[in-house]
Amino acid sequence: MPPEAAALTADGLTKRFGAVRALEDLSLRVEQGEVFGFLGPNGAGKTTTIRLLLGLLAPSGGRATVLGNAVTLGGAAWRSAVGYLPGEVAFWPQLSGQRTLDFLAHLSQREPVERAALLDRLGLDAATLKRAVHTYSDGMRQKLGIVQALQCRPRLALLDEPTKGLDPLVQQAFYEIVAEARRRGTTIFVSSHVLAEVQRLCDRVAMLRVGRLVFAGDVADLRRTERRRVRAVFAADVDPQPFAHFGALVAASPREIALLVAQEELPALVARLGMLPLADLVVEAPSLEEAFLERYR
Amino acid sequence: MSAGTLLAHLWRRHRAALLLLAAGNALFHWAITRVVPAAAQTGFVRELLDMAPAPVRVLVGEDLVANLSARGFLGFGWVHPFPLLLLGVWAVRVSAGALAGEIGRGTMDLIGSRPVSRSAQVTAAALGLVGGLAVIALAGWAGTALGLQMRPLEGVAARDLLPVAAMALLLFASAGCVALFVSATRREGGAAVSWCAGLLAGSYVLDYLARVWSAIAFLRPLSLFSYYQPQRILREGVAVQDVAVLAAVGAAGLVLAFGVFARRDL
Repeated sequence: MPPEAAALTADGLTKRFGAVRALEDLSLRVEQGEVFGFLGPNGAGKTTTIRLLLGLLAPSGGRATVLGNAVTLGGAAWRSAVGYLPGEVAFWPQLSGQRTLDFLAHLSQREPVERAALLDRLGLDAATLKRAVHTYSDGMRQKLGIVQALQCRPRLALLDEPTKGLDPLVQQAFYEIVAEARRRGTTIFVSSHVLAEVQRLCDRVAMLRVGRLVFAGDVADLRRTERRRVRAVFAADVDPQPFAHFGALVAASPREIALLVAQEELPALVARLGMLPLADLVVEAPSLEEAFLERYR
Repeated sequence: MSAGTLLAHLWRRHRAALLLLAAGNALFHWAITRVVPAAAQTGFVRELLDMAPAPVRVLVGEDLVANLSARGFLGFGWVHPFPLLLLGVWAVRVSAGALAGEIGRGTMDLIGSRPVSRSAQVTAAALGLVGGLAVIALAGWAGTALGLQMRPLEGVAARDLLPVAAMALLLFASAGCVALFVSATRREGGAAVSWCAGLLAGSYVLDYLARVWSAIAFLRPLSLFSYYQPQRILREGVAVQDVAVLAAVGAAGLVLAFGVFARRDL
C-alpha cells in the first residue's frame, strides 16, 4: 500500500437490488489509523456498504478502494490484511471455537498473533474453545466473531455492530481492544447505532439515511453544526413570544423559556436576554444522540 | 492453498456422513453377494421374475431377467435404488452445502472476506464432491470384493465390477457438477437441496418411465441415468459414448458453476 493511500475510499458507490436502492452515490475516505464510525438506523445501507467494500457485493455504480487496492469480487491478496466482523455473525455449528479460529486464520494467510490476548480480554477460555459453536450463547458467538476479525492483527478492521449482545463489562473490554489496536495503527471502521459507543470510540463519523450520506466529518463537527439548547430563567415575567425569532421555542412560560438555536444566532440571543431580568442561563451542546435524531427527523 | 484449506474444512464437516454412506454402500454390496441365487436356485428365481409385471422387470434390469446369472445379479446391485440414494445424498449434500449452504447460513461472509478466490471455493466443492463419491463407490466395490472373497461365484471376479463402480462415480459426479451450478445460483442451502434432489430424482424417474412407456421413449436420452447401465457394462464393457456424455454434462455444469459464482453477489 502506498504510504499516502487512504485505508479505504468510496467514490459514488451505489448499490441497487432490483428496484430497491440500498446505497446511493456514497463517497467517503477513511484515513489510515483512524477509528471511523458509520451510523444509521436499520436499513440505512451500513451493512451493504461494508459488504461492497469487501467485494462480497458488486456495485451497481461507483468504485471503492481498500488499503490502496481497487475492490473487486473474488480473492484479492489485500484481504489478508483486513479483518471483518459481520453484523449477523454465523459459524459452522459442529466445529469447535478453536477449529473455527484456526480455519479462519489459515484462510487469512496470517499468523493469529493477537488471538491469545483477545481471548484473555474477552474471557473465552480453553474449555469454551473446545466446545462446538452450537453450544455457545449469542454473546459468546459475538466474542468469537471479534476474535476471528482481529486475531491476525489486520491493518483494517471492518466491524459491523461489534458490541451487539455483549454485556457492559465485555463492551468495556472491547473498547480497550479497539483503543489498543488504534495505538498500533490499525484502521477501524465501526458500524453502529449505539451513539454513545461511536462518540467514545470514533474520530470521525458518517451518517447514512435510506442509502444516502447525510453527514461525514468529526464527531465534534457534527455536534457543532447542530442547534444548541438554551434555557433561560427570568426573575420577573417576560413575554416569551419574541424569542421564537431566534429559533424553535420548545417550552415557554412568563418565567422560563427553552429553545433550540443555531450557533450563529447565539450572540444576538444572549444580547437580547441581557436586556431582561435574567436569573439563570444554560446553553448546552447537543449530545450525539440528539444530533443523530435531528438528522433523521 | 485456499482450495486445500477449504477442502480440509469440508472433510472435517462431512467426514461422519461420508464414512456412514461408504459403510452403507459397502455393506449393501457385500449383502448382494450373499443373496445371489446358487445355480440350483436360478429356476425358481427366473419363475418369480417372469411373474413380475413389466415395470418391475424394467426396474430390476432387463438383462438380469433375460439372462439370470451371478454377474447379472451383481449388476442389479448397482442399479438398486439404495446405493444410488447413497451416492445421490453425497452429491446433493456437498454441492448444495458448499456454496448456497454457506451463503444461507451466513458463513460465506467469513470466507468471502478473506483472500479466497471464488474459483477456489468452487474447486474445493468439486474436489470434495468427486473425492467423496469415489470413496463411496470404491467402498461399494470393496463390499463386493469382500463378499466374493467369502463366497466365490462362478463366472464373476471383483475386478469385473470396477468399471461399473467407476461409471456410478461418473454419473453422480456429473449430476453433482450440475447441482454445483444450481447451488452457485441460489441463496439458501434448503432451496439448493430441493432443486438438486429434484433434478436427480426427476432424471431417475424420467429414465424409468421412458423405458416402460414407449410414448416417451424418445425422452430417455435427456436423463443422465440412461448413460449408466451396469448390466450392459458387465456384458459389453463401458460405452465410450456414455462416458463422453456424462463427462460433457459434468464439465458444462462445472464451467457454469465457476462462471456464475465468480460474478454473483454473496
